[in-house]
Amino acid sequence: MKRTPSILGLLAIVTILIVQSSCQSKEEIFRQQYVVEGMMLYEKHCENCHQKDGSGLKDLYPPLAKTDLWKRLNTSQIACIIKNGQKDAILVNKKAFQNYMPGNSKLEALDVAELVTYLRDKWGNDPRIFSLDSARIALKNCP
Amino acid sequence: MLPINIKNKFGGVFIFSVMLLTGCQDKKTLPILGHKDTEVKGGKVDTVYHQIPAFQFLNQDSTWVSDQDYDGKIYVADFFFTSCPTICPKMKTQMLRLYERYSNENQLALLSFSIDPDFDQPHVLKAYASRLHIKSPKWNMVTGEKAKIYELGQKSFMVTAQEDKNEAGGFVHSGAFILVDKQRHVRGIYDGTNEQEVNHLIEDIELLLKEK
Repeated sequence: MKRTPSILGLLAIVTILIVQSSCQSKEEIFRQQYVVEGMMLYEKHCENCHQKDGSGLKDLYPPLAKTDLWKRLNTSQIACIIKNGQKDAILVNKKAFQNYMPGNSKLEALDVAELVTYLRDKWGNDPRIFSLDSARIALKNCP
Repeated sequence: MLPINIKNKFGGVFIFSVMLLTGCQDKKTLPILGHKDTEVKGGKVDTVYHQIPAFQFLNQDSTWVSDQDYDGKIYVADFFFTSCPTICPKMKTQMLRLYERYSNENQLALLSFSIDPDFDQPHVLKAYASRLHIKSPKWNMVTGEKAKIYELGQKSFMVTAQEDKNEAGGFVHSGAFILVDKQRHVRGIYDGTNEQEVNHLIEDIELLLKEK
């Protein structure tokens, strides 16, 4: 009978841990969905120029992998470039890329949110979700 | 005894199939594509094959490029435009593979026709070419009268090339790479957006390089 309280205590702790971890994994599953959707969107809309591995193409299309872009630009700026394109030259790893990037006007806020989440996860080393709400606000306030 | 027998059988079949395969490869020649005609010359009937006709356009260095520059050369042609957001970057990635692979092979050249020549003036092509780190005449990018380029594309290189406002970028065109031999015959058409197809093209270039 002495044992009962400790077993109950243990059960309580285990239950709390399970509940917590399941909460976390729900969020993580949601983020992973964004990443996977973002990856498919990347293949469809970005990969032709920026390449599958994000290495870009010579001086024509800038790389995305291993670049300072993820530190220099915030997510809102990246969202706006994806949606509206890039008309002026852009500096990537201190090199100017002059080629005009066409916008992806057909992408919805959700697509942009998923793409930014994927890009930041893959090349920005930043595993945070870029939420649909953030994407909506960013796109509303593009320059 | 049994396992050895099976092994031997398989070995025999293997050697036999290798012989068959190499036998095929030795004899393989590429077809001549396009419309064929017959012509009677001095009482003899000759087959006349489709050929790339005369053309003349300006390249990225604002110098004239004509069919005569490709006399005695094998070349790979394609149709693109510099502001193309869809398949052109993929085509250019693959064309770059050919450019780098055959940089020292003087019998082989590359030729890209712009299907948006009004925008793709020589200086635009120049900027594009220098950003790709490529040089003429190994890889000429040419521009000129739109109707002439479309006609050449459709009738001679047998590809789609025309304006279409509904397409992203405003033009519809195929991603084809066209392989032309030293006698101006089209010997193969490949999907230039597809790495495997371009591997196949490379095999065919190797075959053509051995032809006299």
